[in-house]
Amino acid sequence: MSDARAVADRLIKAKRLNALLTPAKDLRKSLLAQAEAARTTGVLYGMPVAVKDNICTLEFTTTCGSKILEGYQSPYEATAITKLKAAGALIAGKTNCDEFAMGSSTEHSAYGRVIHPLDKARVPGGSSGGSAALVAAGAVPAALGSDTGGSVRQPAAFCGVVGMKPTYGRVSRYGLVAFGSSLDQIGVLGRSVHDAARVLSVISGRDARDSTCEDRDPLRLPTVPESLQGFVIGLPKEYFPAELDPAVKRACDRAIRMMKELGAAVREVSLPHTPYAVPTYYVIAPAEASSNLARYDGVRYGPRFDGHQDLHALYRTTRGQGFGPEVRRRILVGTYVLSAGYYDAYYRRAQQMRALIAQDFRNAFDRGVDLLFTPTVPAPAFKAGEKLSDPIAMYMSDIFTVTANLAGLPAMSLPIGRVKGLPIGGQLIGQAFLEDEMIEAAYALERVVPATDEA
Amino acid sequence: MSQAWETVIGLETHVQLRTRSKMFCGCSTSFGAPPNTQVCPVCLGLPGALPVANGAAIGLAVRGALALGCTVHPKSIFARKNYFYPDLPKGYQISQFDQPLATQGSLSFLSPERGAVTATIVRLHLEEDAGKSIHDRFPKATAVDLNRSGVPLIEIVGGPDLRSPAEARAYLQTLKQLLEYIGISDCDMEKGSLRVDANVSIRRAGETALNTRTEVKNINAFSFVEKALGVERDRQIALVESGGSVSQQTMLYDAKESTVRPQRSKEESHDYRYFPEPDLPPLVLTPEFVAEQQSELPELPGQKRERFMAQYALSREHATVLTASRAVAEYYEHVVRAPAEPQSAANWVMTEALADAKDHQEQLRVSPAALAQIIALVKGGTLSNQAAKRVFAEVASKGGDPRTIAESLGLVLVADTNVLAAWVSDVLGAHAPEVGRYKNGETKLMAFFVGQVMRASKGKADPKLAQRVLEEKLSA
Amino acid sequence: MSVSRDEVLRIAQLAELDVDDDALPEIAEQMSRILDYVAQLSAIPTNGTVKTFVPGPDAMRFRPDEVAPSPLMFGPAQFAPAFKEGFFVVPKLGQFE
Repeated sequence: MSDARAVADRLIKAKRLNALLTPAKDLRKSLLAQAEAARTTGVLYGMPVAVKDNICTLEFTTTCGSKILEGYQSPYEATAITKLKAAGALIAGKTNCDEFAMGSSTEHSAYGRVIHPLDKARVPGGSSGGSAALVAAGAVPAALGSDTGGSVRQPAAFCGVVGMKPTYGRVSRYGLVAFGSSLDQIGVLGRSVHDAARVLSVISGRDARDSTCEDRDPLRLPTVPESLQGFVIGLPKEYFPAELDPAVKRACDRAIRMMKELGAAVREVSLPHTPYAVPTYYVIAPAEASSNLARYDGVRYGPRFDGHQDLHALYRTTRGQGFGPEVRRRILVGTYVLSAGYYDAYYRRAQQMRALIAQDFRNAFDRGVDLLFTPTVPAPAFKAGEKLSDPIAMYMSDIFTVTANLAGLPAMSLPIGRVKGLPIGGQLIGQAFLEDEMIEAAYALERVVPATDEA
Repeated sequence: MSQAWETVIGLETHVQLRTRSKMFCGCSTSFGAPPNTQVCPVCLGLPGALPVANGAAIGLAVRGALALGCTVHPKSIFARKNYFYPDLPKGYQISQFDQPLATQGSLSFLSPERGAVTATIVRLHLEEDAGKSIHDRFPKATAVDLNRSGVPLIEIVGGPDLRSPAEARAYLQTLKQLLEYIGISDCDMEKGSLRVDANVSIRRAGETALNTRTEVKNINAFSFVEKALGVERDRQIALVESGGSVSQQTMLYDAKESTVRPQRSKEESHDYRYFPEPDLPPLVLTPEFVAEQQSELPELPGQKRERFMAQYALSREHATVLTASRAVAEYYEHVVRAPAEPQSAANWVMTEALADAKDHQEQLRVSPAALAQIIALVKGGTLSNQAAKRVFAEVASKGGDPRTIAESLGLVLVADTNVLAAWVSDVLGAHAPEVGRYKNGETKLMAFFVGQVMRASKGKADPKLAQRVLEEKLSA
Repeated sequence: MSVSRDEVLRIAQLAELDVDDDALPEIAEQMSRILDYVAQLSAIPTNGTVKTFVPGPDAMRFRPDEVAPSPLMFGPAQFAPAFKEGFFVVPKLGQFE
């Protein structure tokens, strides 16, 4: 029981970050009850795992960082949560995020922005910024996030923690509030590769309630390798452009050198359709979102807003006032690209481009490359407010992460150094359902890379 | 005026598939439960819930497509049809759009005006139903029940091949019979398990191009089909003849007033923003799965009719009546196999058995074995036709063995020549003038004498034997 | 390309979103920029025959036809904003007034 209290204390101490949406009182009470009920034989027995607020839990409300779900208590829980609890983990509160996971800074939350743990003027990244900040602050060893275009890996890179996005279909999406259904995966943020990997292993595997979840056994954890002998690491040249932040470049070069020293073969590859990834993503994700968010209409759940004398008024005020500006913007763009006369020019074209982007990866892997290594984000954490007025500048923060979502591949970020005290992340992109190889390489790199040294 | 005009109608029929659970979740499909009690995260459209397709619904849809002679596609795609309505929980309906389950089938039916007609089936696709909005339950408010939300449907889109409201009715009747026959739906319009929308246009007789059509909705009982389409046809003709033109719009049928009125444009969503449903991988049907559904299909009404004509030497008309419903066809074949002579069995089933069923909730109350026995008793001379009908009625209402009943009712024909001879003597004694005329060659009086014997015996005399005895006596 | 004010209103109506008159110019401007940005996709040749790609299983699995609803810990009465006599309650659509 003292453990549960200590867990609660650590989380509550991190309050200044605004990373946790669960009130202290509710958190304490639930953690005590959970600790009492936890399965002592579970592989995660007693491990507190904070959960992004777009994953349904029975213990706490699920608001998705939105006013439209203010106070919403889900009557069911996500499959990933059921699996965590069955493994003895404690659900350690719900974390702040960009509204419906739409954003790269966690400034787009109806419940206030999340503070970067190392620099209060900066953003922790997003959309899983609350989860990343809590792990970085040492409040929890691991947290669940969701990754649609980089929402686990980008905040992991900004906050200096490990962030893993599994292959599309590796983890059930049942109970993950949908944003871009063909891109979304639940991912894990952890203070180490091992913490992230063991949580990912528990939540992975088949689920009869998600048709897009593959009928596969849970991920098996690899052992920590002695070397990277036999690994071929590809460096896609499109991810190292001339304008890349020099410190980020230096940190990547150092990590690459270390992988070579560990025995990996390193070779340059090309993924020629990379420049189209962000526009492709910003057609597909809003299109799917515009449809996924249609259910928030004030009819069945969530609050209603004033001024609804008829049905249309109910819809329009609920949705107009319940959604924040970024969500409204994406719903409008998504509605536009699916509307009559535009489907072929936008949505269909984007799905074709998606095929070309996925083919780029297959070509690289077919030529004997096991894993790709890239920077996770082009630059370290930016200042709060810096990109709020320029949606496209904000979208460019996802430039190196969206491709793995478009191609459905596993990818992860791990800290590889710092610049002026701010963490820099390196990204490994693996082959579909070969997370074990990706994790193996990450184990090896993590042991040698000076993650908190200036690059 | 309507002489100069031809009506062109195509029907879009929504049919609820007969499954225990819903299309994309495990909720029950049973009818009549208290509102919002057969719901779960999936059919309530709760945040985070996902659809998983019901294999039985897919199997039934494939059976429907095969029975309509459609090409069943090895790969089809579910799509989202996006629109807002309070009984549509997700803000979209999961349906199929540009890659449907099946296309290009046909349905042959008997048109009241043109005889045998083959209408094209353009496509058949799977989708989920919406919930129910009830507008008259609360003042100023709409009540929403989501028990129906997610119930599996197929939509069958017929080509513009129907030429009159009566023909549309005949088409729908035949389609309904077929779907009931193959057991994929109970097709009950009152329970909403069969719904129909119609596309209607008119053109001058002899024209081949299609004119602007309207869509008639809200036809919610079988008996309204012909009426609603007639009203819309007449409206279009009157409109065009008075110099107007038909505009493409949705018309709502009002059964009480027997009128149609245009749906307000605000109620119509013109832009459904279809796109492939990302929560569902492609629907891939293996040849084995399709073959299995094919093997589950019973003999179809058309095939059965042809076989009845060949096997039992029945007329097309009789074969059509006997194969109109699967239950009647099976009943008939059981009677024949009992055994009974096929033509007599057909006569008995079409008259006595169907008339009795009509008065008793469509129940065929006399077992095939009992009916075959009754037919045999008539054939063997034990029962007159009249008496057999009484025995049939008695067996139908009380059950039991036909011969025992016939005996207990005293309906068994008397075939004892001594008894018959007594009745014959009485009759001849009482009708001396007729006996004279008969002997002078007026032999058609035999029928009169037989009738008199039957009368004297209160129907119990075996008429054939009675005639023989009469002939003997009169020639003596 | 630029999205007109009327176009924004038409899209907002389809999406059932209230858009403030004051916010309209900014929304139109931002939508235009985003749509301009993504329009570069139509500039590259995909020669029309390129297939589309979606990750995940190649074929859906079928669920057995069993009555087995996903669990609900509590019913609609407890999460609905307006619920009466077993029904969700919403204001009427204009047509039925």
